[in-house]
Amino acid sequence: MTKRFRLVSAIAALIPLTVLAAACSSSPSSTSSAKMVGPSLPSSPNKKPTVITETGSTLLYPLMGEWTEAYQKQFVTSGAKPAPIVTIETGGTGSGTGIADATTGTVNIGASDAYLSSSDLAADPHLLNIALAISAQQINYNLPSVKTPLKFNGTVLAGIYTGKITKWNAPQIAALNPGVKLPSMTIVPLRRLDSSGDTFLFTSYLNAQDPSAWSASNVSTTVTWPAVKGELSETGNGGMVTGCQSTPGCIAYIGISYLSKTQAAGLGQAELQNKAGKFEAPVPAAITAAVDAETASTPKNETLSMINGPAATGYPIVNYEYAIVSTKQSNGIVAEDIRAFLYWDVHTGQSGTTYLDAVNFQPLPSSVVTLSDNQIAKIGA
Amino acid sequence: MSGAPPQGLARTASGAGLWPSVSRRRRAGNWVFWALCLVALALVITPTLWMVAGIIGRAASHFKFSVLWTSTNNLTGGLRQPILGTVVITFAAIIIGGVISILTGLYLSEFSRHRGERSILRGGYEVLAGIPSIVLGYVGYVALVVDLHWGFGLLPAALVMTVLVIPYVTKATETSLAQVPTGYREGAEALGMSTSYTLRKIVLKAAVPGIVTGALVAIAIAIGETAPLIYTASFSDLAPSLHLTHQALPYLTYLVYFFSSLVQPVNSANILANDAALVLLVLVLVLIIIGRLIAARARRHAES
Amino acid sequence: MTASTPVAEPTGGAGSVPSPRAGGSLRAFVKGGGLVRWTGRTGALIPVLALGFILAVLVVEAIPAIRYNGLHFFTKSIWDEGTGYNSRIVTTNGVKHLTGADYGALPEIAGTLITSAIALIVGVPISIGAALFIVERLPRRLANGVGIFLELLAGIPSVIIGLWGALTFGPFIAHHITPVIARNMPDVPVLDFFRGSTGNGEGELTSGLILAIMIIPIVAATSRDLIRQVPILPREGAVALGMSDAQTARKVTLPWVGAGIVGAVVLGLARALGETMAVAMTCGVALGAVSSNIYGTMTTIAATIVTYLDTAFLDGSGFAVRTIAELALILMVITLAVNVAARLMTRRVSGTPLPIGAGF
Repeated sequence: MTKRFRLVSAIAALIPLTVLAAACSSSPSSTSSAKMVGPSLPSSPNKKPTVITETGSTLLYPLMGEWTEAYQKQFVTSGAKPAPIVTIETGGTGSGTGIADATTGTVNIGASDAYLSSSDLAADPHLLNIALAISAQQINYNLPSVKTPLKFNGTVLAGIYTGKITKWNAPQIAALNPGVKLPSMTIVPLRRLDSSGDTFLFTSYLNAQDPSAWSASNVSTTVTWPAVKGELSETGNGGMVTGCQSTPGCIAYIGISYLSKTQAAGLGQAELQNKAGKFEAPVPAAITAAVDAETASTPKNETLSMINGPAATGYPIVNYEYAIVSTKQSNGIVAEDIRAFLYWDVHTGQSGTTYLDAVNFQPLPSSVVTLSDNQIAKIGA
Repeated sequence: MSGAPPQGLARTASGAGLWPSVSRRRRAGNWVFWALCLVALALVITPTLWMVAGIIGRAASHFKFSVLWTSTNNLTGGLRQPILGTVVITFAAIIIGGVISILTGLYLSEFSRHRGERSILRGGYEVLAGIPSIVLGYVGYVALVVDLHWGFGLLPAALVMTVLVIPYVTKATETSLAQVPTGYREGAEALGMSTSYTLRKIVLKAAVPGIVTGALVAIAIAIGETAPLIYTASFSDLAPSLHLTHQALPYLTYLVYFFSSLVQPVNSANILANDAALVLLVLVLVLIIIGRLIAARARRHAES
Repeated sequence: MTASTPVAEPTGGAGSVPSPRAGGSLRAFVKGGGLVRWTGRTGALIPVLALGFILAVLVVEAIPAIRYNGLHFFTKSIWDEGTGYNSRIVTTNGVKHLTGADYGALPEIAGTLITSAIALIVGVPISIGAALFIVERLPRRLANGVGIFLELLAGIPSVIIGLWGALTFGPFIAHHITPVIARNMPDVPVLDFFRGSTGNGEGELTSGLILAIMIIPIVAATSRDLIRQVPILPREGAVALGMSDAQTARKVTLPWVGAGIVGAVVLGLARALGETMAVAMTCGVALGAVSSNIYGTMTTIAATIVTYLDTAFLDGSGFAVRTIAELALILMVITLAVNVAARLMTRRVSGTPLPIGAGF
């Protein structure tokens, strides 16, 4: 086949496809009436039935599902057969897909474990990252003989992940854990080589605690890990849990959503040293404390790394979970319904016992809810 | 098993006593060779059984038939929407792909007389067969979902799957048409039948079992694919509807991975993943059985 | 079946049989097969057009990546979309990318080739041995029953095989088999590749073995069908010359169908090269890293595309997605080359239907 033939056939193939697309993408924009809805914070959706689409983070997926279900039950059409006014379509394949699809308008709401990077905003300045809930990362280990929670700081963890500390009874670890009988086992650091927001959070903590032990150039979603004898690689949080469970002597970083799995696997949960020098476990109080101390410094666009924050009693690896939404929606009614849904999420949806506890997320502090509200109000058409 | 006589070939090394000096070594060599072949066969069967037992074992303890029609609700409930999604995507792909494939196979086998034309058309679908499914998924996402602004939906998913199944059905059509004896066509012409009538009632009819078998392979492939759907159908727990674009839809293979313990920490999701794997396995088995029945019928017809 | 159908000719009579030159009447066009021919040609063009469309999209997407990544893409082991959250979008030679973007796909390319090689080395002898045993040693009825296993293995969705590989098979060999191999392997070149840390079941060997399992139905089913077709005469000749049936199988039967089996093997190879989910779930998706031994985590092109595409979207310059297009293009070139080779080889064996895909 010649090159020219390929080109010709490519163009020829495009024509019917474009026609098909034009025929099929009869988008709901035709319903947009003359009534222009100004940016506001509606507490209930527009009466016109719409479909809102959401995709993104698999960590947020369970929570989005819970919210959607409750929301669709709460706001129904009046009549003999009540149906949800707003149909919300949730999906989960990954944070990147959420951001990309919110940018291209493929979905209305992208769910992301990370805020937008400067390059994402450069690509589309209309994007907002709206904080929805608070997540954290735990450091777990498999040492059946140690019952008390072990204490770590960034320097020691960096030492483990660079191969400078190789035994569980190394003096550096013992110094942080006086009185704990440490075994002489070899430490097996579990790390992830797949691209992951968890790796970003973990390496951020190492770098924030001790820039000399972990360089800033090695803070990323994919990290060139230093070669450590005996280290293992895992895929996904699920892989970290099962890998750590089957490897005595391992240490791993795992999302707080997996708390029930790490507990079922019998893994230890570490207390991490924060900036103030105190050791904290990722318990609700410490996570909330960490975020409370950041509320004043959270910028209007809620783009903030809370790793190694200033709170005296705060847990050092916490992050916001975000909804990525464009301020330019296809029409006013859809925009209004998105505002209503997100407003509901950051108010009614913050109930711990009803929604957040199932995935071990923490509710937003009230001042951050206000920031989210202000951003939600910007969503228009 | 070892006592079974080899087909069509008298066993030779067992002719003991003829050349006693060679016989023992030869018999040992023969025995070792076939033992190795038996081990090879065991190595084919073991993983299959292991896998099947694994799928059934994981799902059996909690499987209820109500899962099949219970609605999926976030990470709980049943498999109704994913089953519908898989069925609809597969159906759409087989209908669109089937029509294109049968036309292609028919044209190549019955009409095309120009050698260059034939090699381009045939080369086209044979090369399609070699494109990895994830590459199709990537192209589907970039070109259909994003550039054409279709969003996730049935149409991009079905089109990507269509491209995936075309080679299988086309090959089956072309091969089975080629196997229809020329005598049929000559006989029909001698009886004064028109070309289109001959094609419809005689040639195509004789080729139907082969085409259907090819279509079954294509269905099995479409049901089992994951990679090309992740970025074209995406996922949602809405049942497929008449919206061809801008509505993500669920399918069984998504659940097997994204609801498994590899990705979701929620137990109810893991259970659904196991159920989805079992349903897929049963679907594949059903397809195999249908394929065998068709093959057996075709053989009977050919013999009678 | 044709005789029972009455010939319904609406016009009747022998004189009305349409000839190709029966004027431009529509009916003649339809009856003479003109409509079918015309529709058929239109339909037959679609696969070619689709192929052209796919190639065009890939090439257009990949060109900026090819220009920026250069030849280093084939020789370097690094995967870095840019300097984290604060990287800026810059333009080099007209290509937009993030500051510090640096890609080298050597691990992906090598991983693709190595896992496929493991699949062939393990899978092909097993397939041929099993095929020989099925044809020469099993009664027809039992052989048919065993055939179900091949069909089932071919039909099980790859994502299920991947799940089994990740949760059951991988951990099993990592705990019970590979440590023994690693301990007893002598420390000499080549074989020392089998020594060292055996990992946790995610990695090169697991992925290779999973791929072996996936190509077995293709190679075994084809070999079985080919071996069945070997005529009796040459084999009887071999027996008459005093060969044992093992010798007959090796010296007569297998060479007889050799070219066909090679074709099937190459088709199996094409499947192994492009397999996505099963590998992505068992290889560890180690971006930018080459494993030091056969047990270590690694990645293939297909596995990288499916798992990394999500992160690639985070690159606001769009360059990471373009790099994925370049990867996809490389994978396509490799598999197409393999497929062309397969067709050239199978074409030499006449009467062998080309076994695409499953072992139905």
